Amino acid sequence: MSGDANTQPAGADPNPSRDAQTADQAAAQPTKRSRWRLSRRGFLIGAGAVAGGLALGYVYGVPWTRLQLAGVFEGAEGQPSRFPEDPWAWFEVLPDNRIRLYLMKVEMGQGVHTALAQIAAEELGIAWEDLDIAQATTGRDMGDSLMTSGSSSVSGVFQPLLEAAATFRAMLATEAAMLLGAPADQVMVAGRGFAVQGDPARRVDFAAVATSKTEWEAPKEPVAIKNWQDYSVIGQPRARVDIPAKVTGQAIYGMDARLDGMKYGAVVRPPTISATAKSLGAGAAAEMAGVVKVVVAEDFAGVVADTRTAAYAAVAQMSTEWDLGHPWQQAELEAIVTVDGRDGIVIQEVGDASRLLGEETTVTSEYRTPFAIHTPLEAQAALADVQPDRVRVWCSTQGQGFVRAEVAKAIGVDEQIVEVIPTYLGGGYGRKAGWEVAIEAARLAQAAGVPVHVGWSRLEELRYGYFRPLTHHQLAGRVDAAGNLLAIEHRQASGDVAFDFLPPLMTAVMGADFGAYRGATIRYDAPNKRTVAFRRDLPIRTGWWRGLGLLPNTFAVESFIDELAHAAAIDPLAFRLQNLHDEGDSGRLKRVLQAAADLGEWGQPAPAGRARGIAATVDVGTAVAMVAEVSVDVTTGKIRVHKVAAAMDCGLTVNPDGARAQVEGNIMWGVGSALIEEMTVQDGQVVPANFDRYPLLTMKEAPDVAVVLLEAGDGVPRGVGEPPIGPVAPAIANAFYALTGKRVHQLPMNEARVLAALA
Amino acid sequence: MNLRINGTEREVAEGSSALLIYTLRDELGMTGAKIGCAAGFCGVCTVLVDGVATRACITPLAVVEGKEITTIEGLAQQDASGAVRLHPVQQAFIDAQVPQCGWCMSGQILTAAAFLQTNPAPTEAEVVAAMGENYCRCGCYHRIKQAVLAAAEQMAAQVVAATLPTEVRA
Ligand code: FES
Ligand code: FES
Repeated sequence: MSGDANTQPAGADPNPSRDAQTADQAAAQPTKRSRWRLSRRGFLIGAGAVAGGLALGYVYGVPWTRLQLAGVFEGAEGQPSRFPEDPWAWFEVLPDNRIRLYLMKVEMGQGVHTALAQIAAEELGIAWEDLDIAQATTGRDMGDSLMTSGSSSVSGVFQPLLEAAATFRAMLATEAAMLLGAPADQVMVAGRGFAVQGDPARRVDFAAVATSKTEWEAPKEPVAIKNWQDYSVIGQPRARVDIPAKVTGQAIYGMDARLDGMKYGAVVRPPTISATAKSLGAGAAAEMAGVVKVVVAEDFAGVVADTRTAAYAAVAQMSTEWDLGHPWQQAELEAIVTVDGRDGIVIQEVGDASRLLGEETTVTSEYRTPFAIHTPLEAQAALADVQPDRVRVWCSTQGQGFVRAEVAKAIGVDEQIVEVIPTYLGGGYGRKAGWEVAIEAARLAQAAGVPVHVGWSRLEELRYGYFRPLTHHQLAGRVDAAGNLLAIEHRQASGDVAFDFLPPLMTAVMGADFGAYRGATIRYDAPNKRTVAFRRDLPIRTGWWRGLGLLPNTFAVESFIDELAHAAAIDPLAFRLQNLHDEGDSGRLKRVLQAAADLGEWGQPAPAGRARGIAATVDVGTAVAMVAEVSVDVTTGKIRVHKVAAAMDCGLTVNPDGARAQVEGNIMWGVGSALIEEMTVQDGQVVPANFDRYPLLTMKEAPDVAVVLLEAGDGVPRGVGEPPIGPVAPAIANAFYALTGKRVHQLPMNEARVLAALA
Repeated sequence: MNLRINGTEREVAEGSSALLIYTLRDELGMTGAKIGCAAGFCGVCTVLVDGVATRACITPLAVVEGKEITTIEGLAQQDASGAVRLHPVQQAFIDAQVPQCGWCMSGQILTAAAFLQTNPAPTEAEVVAAMGENYCRCGCYHRIKQAVLAAAEQMAAQVVAATLPTEVRA
């Protein structure tokens, strides 16, 4: 593998001042793209891949097609994305006979470029070093799946890419056989070309084959792809292709994009979450040193300057009059997000839970989770170059397709002339699915007539994005004398997650926000179970944060399952196993629970002063369970998580080391959310302006982690990037209960809440 | 004024009150040092100033004038044949497959390199204390810790090798 795209001026053209070419003119000029005749079905992905993703069987009164549409936005399984059928859209042959793979998915640290390269290498049958990979810009027709989200990049691209790679190899092989005058079944890949079996001297290089004609026909029959048991590249740990550039400072991110003659932009921001501008004005900005252009439009005001410092200094001098709106306080927002019986949408109904609940033996409980901020360490960033006939935007984005459309709309140009070049992302986690910064850079660049870079400050990143919404959960359940769940109900209120991004017509039809209720349904066997989602309208923008509703909902449900186990005086692991069956996802859940328990020394005495808790979930088809070992300082109220043992079954694992890294990272996110992270609103504004008021987990609080991967044994990869975020907080809460006999019902379980619980 | 960066004199236009991170990234185009909070909290902007890990976002140029600044771009060495030899910390970060998004990694690596210079044989607790003020939002802490410990061992092995008599080395 010869390095990743975003280090060289290939697909991503990351450092445009060095090389103002685009993908098509890149230094290593690929062979000319040939014409492709469509002759067989397109890759309509989705129908076969809905296992578990949206719990569709449970959805009432919601047309399937609407959910499919929503899947586009969620990016979860069931996503009806079209991938290019033409193998020449995915692949090119380089003059040095390596094969280049173009990817529509962006690399944000999840290792997707490496995993997808493994999938391609499997069917191309070439050496790992002979595969080159490049980030596709929007200038390349890669279908409509220009979004990287929902833990779906590997699971969604898997089959189309296997087929494209197999087809590409078969087409080249057929042509090579003609050139070599040999029967097609005797022509094999040999190094960077093809050779006749048993006669290695009769060979032809890939480039010679690729350039031998300009029009290619699809094979009449679909090319057979390997049986998954025969994979030799998929399933093997591979060193990530993007890592060398990331330890030497060569990797280029949106915040790093530079062009000759570029300037820096800054934009006026409202002082409160509900503020509206009464008037926007230039004020003294134009007189400030280094200012190139002051832009005042009806709905937008900003400055272009020689340096970032000058731009921010000048923007502070602009004269804006605000109507500050209502001075929202945290308590008011929490009151809004409360389960109170209005407008609930039933999203799961089995039997009749309400008939059995409310009796004396019913256990009830409530949970709350706070606003959280993604806060990637690389803030939002984009560089825009707006020419009359061509617009280019280098951007740290999870959704280059949306960025292109929104930029075109914002600056009033035809989308066809806009090319979005995704760079590496310095963290995404759902936050880089927006497009605000690209629009800001483009508007300023258009007004100033020079390329403009906008890179948000930490204050902007913390205050002006969208947040994981507040949630509130009410649970009730009954267990019979033998420890079997009789009835369980989860009523869940949340601010919007996906709905903020969908047209009102669609949200009206759907009723309940699938992002908000992700992870809310009950996976355990019970003859009566019911989940109800309450959509609550917040005056602050909320949206997709890693795992969407998974973390809040799993915290509530898996904490409550523990409460039921303790009420029934049954070991929490045994209780869970008892209330699951052996088939399907339920059986996979049982196996990861047992594996996590084994790895986490469940049932053995914990070291003095510590205790263990367990929790599990199934999300986007992936089953994952964790055992957390914790202690608490009863004088400070500080919980310490010493160890987390995790077991995950994500089906077929493409790159096991990459999957482990995702579990490890999710554990740290989970611990941070469980113990520390909480955004609050005061006097109408988001409180944190920097990390002093929104501290992140550090190595000092980081637990030791151990991860074991199980295989579903069906050759189907499932999502990895988010499912493990679910069980962390409840495993910690359950361990805290095991240790102290007390439960913290609200995240984060910080010192104040722990002390209150212990009091 | 002149700055000495990675062994090279660089003339910069900005005044002595300008902050080093912007001079590096925006004026000189050296984007290996990242920016995260511009307030000293996160550590992604860390560079070495005379070998000491320093947060470039809160460091005015006046402080570094006349000193040797090392950024991530200058951490690897070229050997006599011109081949690039990664710093043992960089190599350890590759071997342990540490980075995810990578945005914090220049800061992590330089912080670790400076730390191992002062404490070549650290305990795990000492590594945690030394690295404990550098954020990694992706949560690579487990691997960072392992990699820093591995780099320490690797550097110790190199020192031993270098001090052995030639015939033993061969
Ligand atoms: S950018 Fe310097 S410490 Fe955060
Ligand atoms: S690798 Fe992403 S912040 Fe550390």
